[in-house]
Amino acid sequence: MTAATEARPVTRASHPLRKTRLLRRLTPYLLALPLLGFIAAFTYVPIASSLNLSFREWDFLSPTKPWVGLDNYRLLLDSREFWNAMKVTAIFAVISVPIRLALALLIATRLMSETWVSRLMRGALFLPSVTSTVAIAVVFSWVFSTDYGMMNAILGWFGLGKVYWMQDPQIALWVLIFVNSWKQLGYDIIIYLAGLQAIPTELYDAASVDGGRKFHVFRRVTVPLVMPTTYFLLVISVIEAFQVFTIVDVMTKGGPAGATDMIVNMLYRVGFTLFDIGQGSALAVILFILLIALAVFKSRVLGRKVHYES
Amino acid sequence: MQFGLQKGNDMIAQLQKVAGAAFVVLLGSTTLGSAQTVEFWHSFGGESGEALNQIIANFEEANPGITIEAQEVGNYNDIVAKLQAAIPANRAPDAVIMEVTRYGLFADRGVLIDLAPYFDADPLKDELYDFAREVGVFEGKTYIVPFNSSTPVLYYNKAIFDRAGIPEDAPLKTYDDLLAVSQQITEELGDEGITGIAAPGQFARWGLIMDNDSDLIDSTSGEILIDAENTIEAYEFMASLVHEHKVASPDGVTRENDGRDAFLAGKVGMMINSTGNYGRSTAALGDDLVVMPMPCNKVCAVPIGGAGIGILSTSEKEVQDAAYKFVSFAASPESNAIWFSATGYMPINKATPQQPIAADALEGKPGIDVAINQLDFARGRPRPPVVTWMRASEYDMWQAMALGQRDVREVLTEFADKTRAEAERLEK
Amino acid sequence: MKADNPLLAVLALAAGLLFLSPVLYSIWMSFQTVDAYYTGTVDFTLENYQAAIGQYNFARYLLNSVIVSGAVTLIGLAVATMAAFAFARYDFPGGNVMFGATVATLMIPSHITLIPNYLTLAKAGLLDSYAGLILPAISNGFAAFFLRQYIRGIPRALDEAAYMDGANALQVLWRVIVPIAKPAILSMGLYIFISEWNNYIWPLVAIGREDMYTLQVGLARLYRVNPGEDVIDWPLVMAASTITILPVLLGFLLVERHLVRGIMMGAVK
Repeated sequence: MTAATEARPVTRASHPLRKTRLLRRLTPYLLALPLLGFIAAFTYVPIASSLNLSFREWDFLSPTKPWVGLDNYRLLLDSREFWNAMKVTAIFAVISVPIRLALALLIATRLMSETWVSRLMRGALFLPSVTSTVAIAVVFSWVFSTDYGMMNAILGWFGLGKVYWMQDPQIALWVLIFVNSWKQLGYDIIIYLAGLQAIPTELYDAASVDGGRKFHVFRRVTVPLVMPTTYFLLVISVIEAFQVFTIVDVMTKGGPAGATDMIVNMLYRVGFTLFDIGQGSALAVILFILLIALAVFKSRVLGRKVHYES
Repeated sequence: MQFGLQKGNDMIAQLQKVAGAAFVVLLGSTTLGSAQTVEFWHSFGGESGEALNQIIANFEEANPGITIEAQEVGNYNDIVAKLQAAIPANRAPDAVIMEVTRYGLFADRGVLIDLAPYFDADPLKDELYDFAREVGVFEGKTYIVPFNSSTPVLYYNKAIFDRAGIPEDAPLKTYDDLLAVSQQITEELGDEGITGIAAPGQFARWGLIMDNDSDLIDSTSGEILIDAENTIEAYEFMASLVHEHKVASPDGVTRENDGRDAFLAGKVGMMINSTGNYGRSTAALGDDLVVMPMPCNKVCAVPIGGAGIGILSTSEKEVQDAAYKFVSFAASPESNAIWFSATGYMPINKATPQQPIAADALEGKPGIDVAINQLDFARGRPRPPVVTWMRASEYDMWQAMALGQRDVREVLTEFADKTRAEAERLEK
Repeated sequence: MKADNPLLAVLALAAGLLFLSPVLYSIWMSFQTVDAYYTGTVDFTLENYQAAIGQYNFARYLLNSVIVSGAVTLIGLAVATMAAFAFARYDFPGGNVMFGATVATLMIPSHITLIPNYLTLAKAGLLDSYAGLILPAISNGFAAFFLRQYIRGIPRALDEAAYMDGANALQVLWRVIVPIAKPAILSMGLYIFISEWNNYIWPLVAIGREDMYTLQVGLARLYRVNPGEDVIDWPLVMAASTITILPVLLGFLLVERHLVRGIMMGAVK
């Protein structure tokens, strides 16, 4: 991650012209500056600004932004909505991520071969992950719509009654988990394929010689050896679950009755429909801290796993 | 806005302002005749939108040099949200349609201008019905001039009633009546996917609460009545339509327009909704549409709804002047008659009913007068800043109750407390 | 290519079709009249596309999306490649900190910047403009991080030779590094383009004027306002949805391998 161990550019010694020396010394700064300028202006300064706003009260209209200390945090942590959003987000992550990863690994092991069928399948499965989330959410809003949707039509063929997929608080979150998994599955598969390709085939052969059956090989060889990939996907997916917004906004707006009110959806609602800028910023700061904690956890765990592997 | 670049340099800004003012004075005579463009945000699509465009076209013809740049922004909630977001961005329009209970926040924060200097000098002031003039008053000043006024009414589909075996004179007076009729429809025609009643939207909910001799916020004292016994009872009844008796589809709870759309599509027996839906309902259902007054469960009372047009404090004086001309024109008998007969929104101008097209409508469009006849027991609603927040938050509360997620009393007690706390916060 | 067990192949194809059926059906539906859709008959039409492109302004949204995603990709690649070159080839005071700050953006949720960026661009008068959509999107360190890893794998001797010929740093970057790193840069470009194309929350917040909507915002709004007087006009919505999906879909079919490779390389360094 650091450049400290690298050798100094050889170029310096080989370029004796004095007048260009200053320029050459400045070169890396000039090269890095544009990107860092953008990052400073649109990422780091805003973080400081969010922190500042989270201690204030403002509605976009008042000329003043009075300092209210920790009030916004207190109100948030006391509110039913915040804990509901945390709960919904956690359920989303805990349910969807393991199922998706298990499914992705199983499918990936089947799609290792370079036949045209498996290539076509990989393409088909991967397609949703590069497709517009809004479009997917709109299409699935139709699939799950009560009166004219595909799901209820299929249920109708079997003589079953209508299900209120997106109106029933017990079901709506499952619909979103399904749609999100449908979209993300292909990405997971691709990453697993990369992980699987790194496993030496001799290991499989050895396991087979031992008389292991297919499932045995999968459990004893494949699963442990792709563990680093699994950890990577696990953490990435949990982080991503904490940032889900688009499908919620298009399909349910966090409803019915808060059943799909994930944390970023709440952030958007508090900030840009209720215009409680203080609480919205406090929520953003909390989300930030949570995700940084996850990222640190990721680098620790992944670091350890990589170490174990080598 | 034109001084945006000089922000942070007061002196230059001041100089420019002085120069700008001098410029205006110098060219005073010419600017009078020069073109003004008024950016106007509204909430009317479909047939209502066409009626509004007609009014705008008439105005532009009568006022050469003024262009109304109309933009349909979304529903009332969308307008509130977009306007609030527009303030720090300096991109507010010049004139805006604001729902009658939700402009208080913007008046209070100085976003809308007091229209008194225009309104007091305008003969229109005396032409308006009292109820209509009242909707624009906040803390003794006038911030919006009414454009579309409404009360909720009860619409039903005669064909569905017939097929469900409900007589035309079936009482629709009390909560029990509504439930009985809804149940009969759902029982008889449920197999065809027809339900008894549309889940009430927010305006209808407010009306049903008033019928139960209560309110969300007291119209005189401003007291929060969300957790009053009669309010709780009203919500319990409304929620039971969806959750317990299943005579209203939850589709209309999560997307309120879905309830109306299902009624227009002939999938729902009746709906309670603004009289402003009269135009599109007759277009969709023709002779099958019957309009009835609101039920009177404990008392007869209906809320006055609709919206008026306000003018933004950020606009230039000349633009504000032009905008007011339009505001006044839109409330004139001629414009109001076009609007009334096309949409079903009530006349706001005393001279409107004498206009030929309005008279024709009253004569030939059965039920268009139901809302007007309810005015005897109609109530204005207060509009302190907290109402904006309250209405934006009420949807989630309603969903939780209607879908049987939480106990009605518990929800409303908590919601009332939060609303009171928010009101206190906003007053600081 | 190896042959498959035909039965297995058929099963796999059926599963693939089933998996994509919602999207495939939505495309089919977009060519049907609304009456045909609701009565369950078949009646081909292009009217939905005409309506989406004309009356509902999706041609404009398409243009906006192309301009914004294109500009973000080009500017993003340019600044990322330069920074990656600096991080990969120079050891300079503060360089580690800068690189750390760049990498850290990968972990920072963009949502924390939502309100402040809105206010910043509001003050600058850049909301409702292309610049307002483009500039914040450049603030992403992923491409620089990814390209820096790649450039480090390029032998320094190549730079060296160019410097001996009197080239300056930019020339070395442009003539030596970029041609070699082209596959990585292309993969990254695709990745940036698709991410930006599908970006939703920022345009939703930053754009108020209808004629500045991107496809994503325009589609979400079209669906929300329920076109069609009483029943929702699903075929029209699906035509708009297809317009939103199609450019990326076509691009995907053309360059799937680059993209997949890019994602693999990015994930498993």
